Amino acid sequence: MNHSITESLNHSISSSLWGDAWRQLRRNRIAVASFWIIVVYLAMALYGEGVFWYFHWKDMTPPYQQTNLREEYLSPSVFRHPFAVSSVDDPGAVGSPAVDHRGQPAAKSVVARFRTGLRTLAHHPLGTDNLGRDVFQRTVQGARIAFQVGIITSCIAIPIGVILGCLAGYFGGKTDDFIVWLYSTFSSIPDLLFIMAIAMVVGKGLQGVYLGIGLTTWVNLCRLIRGEVMKHKTRPYVQVAHALGLGPFRIMFRHILPNVFHIVIITFSLRFPAAISTEVFMSFLGIGLTTWVNLCRLIRGEVMKHKTRPYVQAAHALGLGPFRIMFRHILPNVFHIVIITFSLRFPAAISTEVFMSFLGIGVQGEPSWGIMISNARLRLWQGVWWEMTFVTAAIFFIVLAFNLLGDALRDALDPRLRTSER
Amino acid sequence: MLRYIIRRIFQMIPTVFGVIVITFILFNIVGGSPAAMTLGKNVSPKALEEFDEQRGFNKPLLLGRWSATRAYENTTFERNAGPWRQVEGVTYTAPQRREPGHITLAPGKDYALPLAFKLKPQVTYQWVLKYRLLSGTAAFKTVHSYQPDDVTGAKPALAAAGGFERQIRLLTTNSAWQTVKIPFNAGAVPATLKLTVHTEGGALEICALKLRRQNANWFDTQFVFYLSQIARLDFGKSNFTNQRVSQMLKDGIGPSLCLTAPIFFVELVVAVSIALLCAFFRNTLVDRLIVVIAVMLMSVNYLVWIIFGQYMLGYRWGWFPLWGFESWTFLLLPVLIGVVSGLGGNVRFYRTIMLDEMYRDYVRTAFAKGVSRPGVLFKHVLKNAMIPILTNVVIVIPFLYTGSLLLEVFFGIPGLGNMYINAINYSDVDVIRAIVLIGSILYVIANLMTDLCYALFDPRVKIG
Repeated sequence: MNHSITESLNHSISSSLWGDAWRQLRRNRIAVASFWIIVVYLAMALYGEGVFWYFHWKDMTPPYQQTNLREEYLSPSVFRHPFAVSSVDDPGAVGSPAVDHRGQPAAKSVVARFRTGLRTLAHHPLGTDNLGRDVFQRTVQGARIAFQVGIITSCIAIPIGVILGCLAGYFGGKTDDFIVWLYSTFSSIPDLLFIMAIAMVVGKGLQGVYLGIGLTTWVNLCRLIRGEVMKHKTRPYVQVAHALGLGPFRIMFRHILPNVFHIVIITFSLRFPAAISTEVFMSFLGIGLTTWVNLCRLIRGEVMKHKTRPYVQAAHALGLGPFRIMFRHILPNVFHIVIITFSLRFPAAISTEVFMSFLGIGVQGEPSWGIMISNARLRLWQGVWWEMTFVTAAIFFIVLAFNLLGDALRDALDPRLRTSER
Repeated sequence: MLRYIIRRIFQMIPTVFGVIVITFILFNIVGGSPAAMTLGKNVSPKALEEFDEQRGFNKPLLLGRWSATRAYENTTFERNAGPWRQVEGVTYTAPQRREPGHITLAPGKDYALPLAFKLKPQVTYQWVLKYRLLSGTAAFKTVHSYQPDDVTGAKPALAAAGGFERQIRLLTTNSAWQTVKIPFNAGAVPATLKLTVHTEGGALEICALKLRRQNANWFDTQFVFYLSQIARLDFGKSNFTNQRVSQMLKDGIGPSLCLTAPIFFVELVVAVSIALLCAFFRNTLVDRLIVVIAVMLMSVNYLVWIIFGQYMLGYRWGWFPLWGFESWTFLLLPVLIGVVSGLGGNVRFYRTIMLDEMYRDYVRTAFAKGVSRPGVLFKHVLKNAMIPILTNVVIVIPFLYTGSLLLEVFFGIPGLGNMYINAINYSDVDVIRAIVLIGSILYVIANLMTDLCYALFDPRVKIG
């Protein structure tokens, strides 16, 4: 009896919107593959972050900035015939099969030659650029910057969009008029022009400081969430979940977190003005400031629909305040839009960053993908194809993965959004 | 219908106003005066003042009586004495914990205020002064000292007198820092004007000093200046090419449209045809393959299309001319690249629209009645899908005018996109502002057009 209740409850839990979507996603092989591609890139970006901070902390030139003029224009290691028979006559040229990267003559026995070959293979696997800098390392750094851009701009855009959208949809009337005016104005200005104008006005340069902002923001957020979770712990729904024998992590992340998630959003939106005033976000700011419009429009429409639903009216009848209803009740029900938008905007943010860095108004002094393309472009005419190719491939796969995953997410969570979002 | 159109036009007004306000905030408030940024560092204050004057940047933002002037710029004495360094009898005190940095004028002397350039004749100026006077008095005076050749014939009496001085304000003793505003007139011949301070009996300490110029009225402000510029369709003057911006826009729009209009039409036709093909073969291998290819095309970066296209087709294989804008052959390659790079996204979008229509009841009915597949597709589906297609198409039109930023740069087409990127690189504010503003207004108009098209093509959309 007891068992069957748990069973049926479990069933009803897993056929919720999120559970349903999750199952649908897991069955979609393309979505899973895209997910893993993104995870790989994320790992690369994290590794890049680690490298960056390690060398920053040690105050050394990081490997991706190290120049070595003896090894300029080294082609990818596979094309250097690492396992070829050594011609001892010409041991001079670096990167030629006869010499390993330390400049010693290659050994003669098969095993030793195999070992030398492997070492050569690992030495600048994707070749070097005009200053002898490793293309692989620089591509990894590009991934790091791309993720920073994607995440930071989402952190700017999502709070503005979610909050304004909720307010407009829920309150209607004057508030709605104002917010609609605001976003229609913002969306009237051509995106790219606006982004570039903002970047020019706010100024080029500076980055890496937002990690500092992140490190100061989380304390506040953590304190708020802690207090909120402590309050929620005594609530009946948590006790019911306890009585059903659910594990603490499940309760925490499946039950309490959705109920306190609004705090995350609110905190980020409160940090946002402070962040602007420090002018740290520069070009990122530009991207974030223009993306919120679309999200705001979608959320507004959705909230307006939900306003007439029975559960909102019930909450009204119970005498709950408008903000509570908005952020606690309606928001969790429209939050999937945020996720879809995020996954669809991410590749766009990356592309914009590449574009702006290419034009020289984005990232300064770091090997972002845009800067790499901009440098590699001139060398392509001299036949140095590898730098260009690998950067292109790197961008291609991450954008492809996000496009596919975004589609799958949209199909799983809300197929209706198909035509409204391009 | 007419009433609907008129109402929609009135609804446009707040949005246009919003766009004007946003560009104003972005370029005038956030950006501040770009004079120093554009002209460089080692420029005389007079040149900067002229730059500001021409663009209205020295006026108050929204409402106010006084304009800033660079004739006397260093207003606080936080780091050094500024132009007072040269003046004899002035000592500088660096800021302490409680005390702001200030200069001290020893008593019993006349001090001339060091001005960067001549003031304007017959205009009221104002000193804003934060001072402390522990003992004694100080007087602010304007001293006109005429040389005979300064005043040629006009006012011989004044010239004979050798000038005159006028006491403007007497400052009395006070022990705390106090701010006073002292208005005065620059007079007929400001070339001979000396603004002087005379102290008597005690040292005068000054911690902030500003010089401001009076405007004609309260509404002589940056915002009104901007609005009147827009009303006159005068977008200022580029400080890089030294041409009028409106002339530059006129010159640039032709090449831009030459590039974007073919891209737009070719892409529309190709994308809709492929989408129809998808709808025709829906749920077959062909459909899937097209979707996969479309997503792949979408994922290749725009820059990469251009660079590889130019390198392979233009340089390696030599099929197209590489760079320039001389005859129509120069447009072939950029148009091709533009079409290919946008194709993926468009095909996917139109396919979604077509498939949405394909599952409607009327399509099933048509099939059941025995209408042929092409008949259904072209007569029924395409017609009904026209509305979302139209929305998409009309909205894209305003973006045609800015041209394609990167294509123009790479292929050396002298259009607006090229101009915009140059303007960004040289911080050419007037050009950027004009392009952003016009783009936005065109977008608003296109939105209006879309709504009108809706009303025309779809009887279900209610009018009035």
